[in-house]
Amino acid sequence: MTNYGLVIDQERCIGCQACAVSCKQENNVPMGQFWNRVLTEGGEKMDTPSGGYPEDGGSGSLDMQYQPTACQHCENAPCVKVCPVNATYTRDDGIVEIDYDKCIGCRYCMAACPYNARVFNWDEPEHMPEGGTGDVEERPQGVVEKCTFCSHRVDEGLDPACVVNCPADARIFGDLDDESSTVSKYIDKYETDQLLEDRGTDPKTHYISGEMSPGRPQTSDKMESELDDVSPWSDGDDVPSDGDDSAGGESSGGHHSVSGDEVPRVPSVKSGGDD
Amino acid sequence: MAEKTESSRVAIPSFSGKGKLWIGLLVVLMAAGLAAWGYQLTMGLIATGMRNVFSWGLYIMMFVLFVGLSAGGLIISSAPKFFHSHRYEGFARLGVLVSLACIIVAGLLILPDIGRPGRIYQFFTSPDLRSPMVWDFGVVLLYGLLNLWYLWLLTRRDLAARGSSLALGVKDTEAGRERDRTLMFWTAAVALPTAVALHSVTGWIFATQIGRGDWFSPLVAPVFIAKALVSGLGLLLIVSVLADRYTNFEVDREELTSLGKILGIFLAFHVVYLLAAERLPHAWADHFEFWAIMSNFLIGDSVYFWLWTVVGGAVPLAMLALPSLRKRVSVIFTASVLAVVGTMFEGIRLVFTGYEVANIDSAPGISLGGEYTGITTNIWATAGAYTPTVVEIAVTLGIIAFGALIVTLGLKYVPIQRVDAEPSYAADGGKQDQ
Ligand code: SF4
Ligand code: SF4
Repeated sequence: MTNYGLVIDQERCIGCQACAVSCKQENNVPMGQFWNRVLTEGGEKMDTPSGGYPEDGGSGSLDMQYQPTACQHCENAPCVKVCPVNATYTRDDGIVEIDYDKCIGCRYCMAACPYNARVFNWDEPEHMPEGGTGDVEERPQGVVEKCTFCSHRVDEGLDPACVVNCPADARIFGDLDDESSTVSKYIDKYETDQLLEDRGTDPKTHYISGEMSPGRPQTSDKMESELDDVSPWSDGDDVPSDGDDSAGGESSGGHHSVSGDEVPRVPSVKSGGDD
Repeated sequence: MAEKTESSRVAIPSFSGKGKLWIGLLVVLMAAGLAAWGYQLTMGLIATGMRNVFSWGLYIMMFVLFVGLSAGGLIISSAPKFFHSHRYEGFARLGVLVSLACIIVAGLLILPDIGRPGRIYQFFTSPDLRSPMVWDFGVVLLYGLLNLWYLWLLTRRDLAARGSSLALGVKDTEAGRERDRTLMFWTAAVALPTAVALHSVTGWIFATQIGRGDWFSPLVAPVFIAKALVSGLGLLLIVSVLADRYTNFEVDREELTSLGKILGIFLAFHVVYLLAAERLPHAWADHFEFWAIMSNFLIGDSVYFWLWTVVGGAVPLAMLALPSLRKRVSVIFTASVLAVVGTMFEGIRLVFTGYEVANIDSAPGISLGGEYTGITTNIWATAGAYTPTVVEIAVTLGIIAFGALIVTLGLKYVPIQRVDAEPSYAADGGKQDQ
């Protein structure tokens, strides 16, 4: 069985917010809402450290780390268990997703999620530009929404947008049930934590801290499992493993099978990578 | 009384000028509530004070209160029946009527809280049996129907005797009354566990949540039962005193005092015992010195805590504990009001403890989906904050007014008081003077 998970290397993360922004644009997230946030662990404010500068010439105590935070896709997901109408459910591949046509907007799942990963459309969702962005249809007023691990991309064999767009290669997506996947290997090899482990939700998002990992090995938009003949482990992490990657990413971007004629909203012809 | 052969009477034979004014007031409140709900439906829940961190507000707080309030009447009328006693018989019908009104109010309060009320039918078509909300939906529905059935069962022979169409064709016969008494016993036998289930399940909505501070506690369900006993009996006493004052309904003073005493016992159990049981382990585990443990145990922190324990607990308890004070109707009335208000603030406090603090509160925090009205101007927050808006208050008052209307109409159309006790009842000696 496939069981998708995410590894975030906090040692690699540079706090650039690229994942937060690409998530917002890829998933057409309304104004005033974020599915993915880059939090600063340290001072009171964003991008500020805790502790002090070594004024006396001794060693300082400044400390800061970034913690990108979105839905953790819990194994024992309380949000799934509380949803009275089965609108929130776990897919066969482990992704926790919401059926927006079923959601009655009771917000019990928001009370249940210990990570505050869910947002509710309190009013008519507003988009900038008005037509919306990205490849996902907008959600109506009165329902709860959250990170889907970009299930629409995963279904096409592509990594989530935040993973592809991380310039520090700090996000690695893959199959936790496959022992040879990079995520499984990193969880095995590096010191990883899950957020609020004591709550017993068993998140499928794991954070590396301590020793830095080599990061996401492939530069392709494709998921690791789609890169059959390329062994990402054999070449260095900076070597593009596949020359025609961007072309491949683009063509698959062109025939997204997401239904509805208003999607994709992005022009099918575009320059650069899929972002 | 003017009636000769009837064994019961309604509390309001016809509405006086004042009565019409009261109904008028309720209708105005209901219309305002409906208008506010209409406004909220077009605007979305942005019209409320709720936002992403603090995602349940006044509607749920009042839902919790009214579920609790619905307990008193049914328990006071069914517990004695179950033990084949005729004690508090004078409160039985009024009690069930009040319970029915409260559970209807509680159920209606959920509607405006739902983001897409048009999809509520999915509770039937696509339920997830793991969800405590599904359990609660079921038990609230069952409890409401049970109350309706019980009220009708208690009064149908009298309704028939009065020729009321509400008897639905039932005849007033001696054999029928005999059979009804058996039915009442069995209804009582079902009603009591249903009431326990109702309050426990409502408590479990909160108590199952690992993500929300103090919610996750096995004590929540028993506390909900205690809260229901306190506030439910409190409300029944309030309504009885008011009905005694403004309608032809008459309360037996002795029974009123006796119920006041029971309220005192419920209060002592709830506020003194359960509270201590909940607080001591935390205080002990968190502090080292004896006095630090004691002061943390005895002295709470938030305003809600004090509103609840002192105003809603200690003061009414003291009033009801003194026999000389307890005899006065005004004292019982005031103590009951305080007990209900205290329970209300306890419910508010529970919701606040869940949402006030975010488990992960690093900057910039959580996106709110709109700013906290009047509190911040940006969309980020690292903690929860909530003040209800005028819209929420208007909708809530409208629904409560509907409940009050149910009770008022019940007093008019349902024979709420037995006038001439039947032989079996007379033996009890409780209320022959009526
Ligand atoms: S992080 Fe929250 S929303 Fe995501 S699966 Fe866990 S409980 Fe559900
Ligand atoms: S708000 Fe929607 S997804 Fe969340 S518990 Fe209610 S119905 Fe389920």
